[in-house]
Amino acid sequence: MTIDRISLRPTRRAFMGGMGAAASTALFAPAIAQSRQLTIISNRGNADQRKAVENIAADFGKAAGVSVTVNNMDHEAHKTAIRNYLVASPPDICFWFSGQRMRSFVEKNLFEDISDLIAKENWAGPMGTSIGAVTVNGKQYGLPTGGILWGLFYRQDTFDQFGLKAPETFEDFFTLAAQSKKAGLTPMSIGTKDMWTAGGWFDHMNLRINGLDHHMDLMAGKIKYTDASLKEVFDLWERLVKADFFSANHTSYAWDPAAAAVVQKKAAMIDLGNFIKYAFPADDLAQVRFKPFPSIRPGVAQYEDFSVDSIHIPSGARNKEAAKEFLAYFYKPENLGAYLAPEGNMPARSDCPVGNDPILKMAAESMKTIKGTAQYFDRDTDPDLAQAGMKGFQEFMVRPERREQILGQIERTRARIYG
Amino acid sequence: MTIWWRRHRNWLTPALLLAPGLFLFLVVIIWSSLETFWISFFDWDGMGVKTWVGLANYRELLDDPQFYVSLKNNLIWLLMFLLAPPAGLAIAFLVNQKIAGMRVMKSLFFMPLVLATVTVGVIFTWFYDPTFGLLALLFRAFGAEAPALLSNEHLVTFAVVASALWPQIAFCMVLFLAGLNNLDEELIGAGRVDGARGLAMLWHVVLPQLTQVAFIAVAITIVGALRSFDAISVMTAGGPFGSSTTLAYQMYEQSLFSYRFGYGAAIATILFLIMAVFIAWYLRGLIRAEKGA
Repeated sequence: MTIDRISLRPTRRAFMGGMGAAASTALFAPAIAQSRQLTIISNRGNADQRKAVENIAADFGKAAGVSVTVNNMDHEAHKTAIRNYLVASPPDICFWFSGQRMRSFVEKNLFEDISDLIAKENWAGPMGTSIGAVTVNGKQYGLPTGGILWGLFYRQDTFDQFGLKAPETFEDFFTLAAQSKKAGLTPMSIGTKDMWTAGGWFDHMNLRINGLDHHMDLMAGKIKYTDASLKEVFDLWERLVKADFFSANHTSYAWDPAAAAVVQKKAAMIDLGNFIKYAFPADDLAQVRFKPFPSIRPGVAQYEDFSVDSIHIPSGARNKEAAKEFLAYFYKPENLGAYLAPEGNMPARSDCPVGNDPILKMAAESMKTIKGTAQYFDRDTDPDLAQAGMKGFQEFMVRPERREQILGQIERTRARIYG
Repeated sequence: MTIWWRRHRNWLTPALLLAPGLFLFLVVIIWSSLETFWISFFDWDGMGVKTWVGLANYRELLDDPQFYVSLKNNLIWLLMFLLAPPAGLAIAFLVNQKIAGMRVMKSLFFMPLVLATVTVGVIFTWFYDPTFGLLALLFRAFGAEAPALLSNEHLVTFAVVASALWPQIAFCMVLFLAGLNNLDEELIGAGRVDGARGLAMLWHVVLPQLTQVAFIAVAITIVGALRSFDAISVMTAGGPFGSSTTLAYQMYEQSLFSYRFGYGAAIATILFLIMAVFIAWYLRGLIRAEKGA
């Protein structure tokens, strides 16, 4: 890559020259060697994952005869920068999040339609349900890379010790509650201080009761929060709250103390994503078990929250052909696996190796039976509505008797945004 | 050049000295305030197009239950914070005696002022933690169950203010200590000759000399209460369900989490108006004092 070659001579002028070249590779690169080029903006925070992106890019460059430039950005700064660069100076490849966060760019015509690439490479099969995360009106605008699968986690040794059983149906929750309390455990650990955990619980309940289509309509603002279809969700949720099913004082805790309660055998279960492994000491990882949220309404298929990161071609990219070739290379199972391994997320391709991670192995097994996926409450709906909704759910979990007021307030926000 | 300079230096020197400060004040305070006021008439997500909505943001604010919760919390902050000057004065009297070891006491009382508000917030969050916190352990020692202060919608604001009050009292104490060091010895001597001692001495001789300091302490405390933000952000993030949110925090939440910069600007404008009342009162006092002196 150009930058390395120039900065080998550590004079000030060379450094300035290097900066200039880095800033405008698109202008200077053709004169150097290859005629084809590709610019990638990466937002990966994990240092090993950044390295993986650079390795894949370099290998691709050699194989395809393309000079590739990777620009790394800070993960959080990238969230605002992307709004600028997609319009002002789009790269050929960029990383982002699928779902609503992708849709808002698709609606502004900022992401390229890559349905033809997906059809040509026959990816619909290995992608499985995660294809839905990058589909808008039947067309695909990106490739899902990896994601977080959400569900219930528990420790097998805790369950053995107290004779607990993982819930299969909603009523099993109450058996779990009674037995856990007899054993002095919190049945369901949750920390709602940051509010999103309450949004996730709502997702699970609504997906099990009303199914995916209803849920996505709700997320898109097409259904009122005061709609009768949601009554059962809040009825059942209220029963759980009144049965003291959740952690006491859960608004005082963030997700990590809540996960710690499960690790320390003070709570039976927790509703979380595969990143729970960071809460466990390495020796205890073998005890962790994953269990999908129990079914509630009979006949509703298994839909889950699966928050998927993704990779895109901006519609203003200059080298779309090279970009598509890169995607084809990047999306090979072995390359995608190498990219995801440092971060520890679930591959969006079912034929991608997950390595030795025990939690990922269980999640991968579970992925095979899932019929469709949502992302997560705050990734699927408008950020303004997400904030109001999660705040309302948090209040509901403390004061279920205020349901009408709470839903009225969320509905006012929905009406203001979606009309 | 030199002649020109000599002719004009009477006004040029002060102008040049004032320029950096004035420039910053104009850009950072005045211009930003005016722009905030302007933005409050728009519907704007911070990135896209601004849509003129007139007074709609203000109308919505009057209808927003959260606004009244924030306003009430600001009032609680204000009233509780006014405990800081008298408490600071009391501690200043306490540590202003010539007793062995008083320096250690002084530094202990002074310590919270050295800590960042964020640090104080984190320490108090641990202190309040209903399972592992010191407060919970204390309650348990007496066989009682500690209240989860940060989860209780009625107590949470008081719990947060208590944490912010700690450094504020230390601040007032330092102000009053400085004031006590400047007391006029002759006046005190004269009072003693006239037979004043104890409370009479305090009330008629010492306190009147501290009014200037007290005025500054109260004014700074009020402004500190109104702009309360960092303690809330660290300890509760405005929760549970918005019950510890103040106007400053609501403005932040609306602008940065909900991407409603227009609405956030409207909240900021209201907060500015409330503060303006106190600032005007402060300035009036300041100008009076200068004229008197």
